[in-house]
Amino acid sequence: MISVAHLSKSFGGQVVLDQISFEVPSGQVLVVLGPSGTGKSVLLLQLVGLMAPDEGTITIDGVQLADLSGRDLLKFRQNIGYLFQDSALFDFMTVAENLAFPLKEHTRLKTGEIDARVEEYLKDVDMAGSGDKYPSELSGGMRKRVALARALIMDTKVLLCDEPTSGLDPIRSRDISLLIRDLSKKKNMTTIITSHDVKNSFLVADRLFVLNQGRIAAQGREEDLRRSGDPMVKEFLS
Amino acid sequence: MINAVFHPITRLGQASLLLGEVFSNILRGRIRWKEVFKQIYDQGVQSLVIVMLVSFACGAVLAMQARVTMERFGAKEFIAQLVVLSLVRELTPVFTALVFSGKSGAGMASELGTMSVNNQIQATRTLGVDPVEFLVVPRMIACFFVLPLLVVIGELVGIFGGYVIAVWEARIPGSYYISQTINAVGYIDFFTGFSKVFFFSILIGWISCFQGFFTSGGSLGVGRFTTKAVALCYVAVIVSNTILTKIILTFWGN
Repeated sequence: MISVAHLSKSFGGQVVLDQISFEVPSGQVLVVLGPSGTGKSVLLLQLVGLMAPDEGTITIDGVQLADLSGRDLLKFRQNIGYLFQDSALFDFMTVAENLAFPLKEHTRLKTGEIDARVEEYLKDVDMAGSGDKYPSELSGGMRKRVALARALIMDTKVLLCDEPTSGLDPIRSRDISLLIRDLSKKKNMTTIITSHDVKNSFLVADRLFVLNQGRIAAQGREEDLRRSGDPMVKEFLS
Repeated sequence: MINAVFHPITRLGQASLLLGEVFSNILRGRIRWKEVFKQIYDQGVQSLVIVMLVSFACGAVLAMQARVTMERFGAKEFIAQLVVLSLVRELTPVFTALVFSGKSGAGMASELGTMSVNNQIQATRTLGVDPVEFLVVPRMIACFFVLPLLVVIGELVGIFGGYVIAVWEARIPGSYYISQTINAVGYIDFFTGFSKVFFFSILIGWISCFQGFFTSGGSLGVGRFTTKAVALCYVAVIVSNTILTKIILTFWGN
């Protein structure tokens, strides 16, 4: 379960997040919607401890992020899968080496076991047999799939996805959205996705909220958002 | 105006913290030797040929100039001493450090810079791995080993360059040139030049990794920060060489 209370963040006097509070129960998929520059990525960076909030608390599975620092925070991140907007695969490693990297770092699995796990996760994201390729040889959609597999390979219980459909065509966007939804449900993960892709967000979300000017402008299911009287929310969903 | 004053101070603070983290990792034994060997190979291969070329040319040109100048004073037989002492005490360590900055320093800065702008350094953190331990420490340790090794190779090649000119152009017997070379160089001559190389290696590794690690501004930024890394390495090598030479000559000048 992820619990965020009174989270605020400003940059040079400009308020990006203003007293945000929400909870995501275990196994649920929350989508944070909003136009570009509304602080969605800042929210995710704070959830993974890469950026400290000015105010407020973040609790993930009972652990307050503010209580962790240095090596403890690095260790805690092993429980969190993070999918970057631009995939952020290591371009000097093959696909298989990218997936094997966290396993080699944090587990004592033997080479054969690591190879088997890598192949299993590549199969999960429909990329079986592409382990020997380098990220530069893959399309944008394929890189996203591999990055998703790398984010999940430690059997993480929390998945954070930053704009997973950005830069993809409508078909690939739908595919990756459904893949995230399916894997989240199959592995019972608590998932937070930031997006401005309204159509696909409704496809994957158990619950959504719309960020505007650092605050939650509307939240709930699709029908709740559609009923919102907020002019910005109406315009954004139209 | 305030930014112009505070920005360099902030950067220096960031750079000092990075160096502190590197030493802290080394002292705690967090050294990835496999990565270090890979970096030693990469950095060595990147710079070896050009270091050999520069060193050979340096030794040869020194011998050519020495022949012309010293013949005027009837001191042609001292060409070997002039060449070897100039190379060992000063020229090879400095030239090799400059070449290394331009090749391997630029390589490190651009590799880390590309990783930085593509979020790969952030990705390392999200995967629970310390990027300083994984990316910076192996590169800096590799610098510490590779640069001295390149300097030794450069000195030998430079001496050979001088030998070729001395034998071929100045008609000095080869065996005489070699014996003069060996007799001319004392331990103190070698180590006064060689000790500086370790400082250069730390400076080049530190500056290149720092500029790369904190690169921002997309692909344009990678070019800008890499150029900055090389320019700063050049300045650091030249300035530190002047200071170190003064210190060394003060204590071991005779």
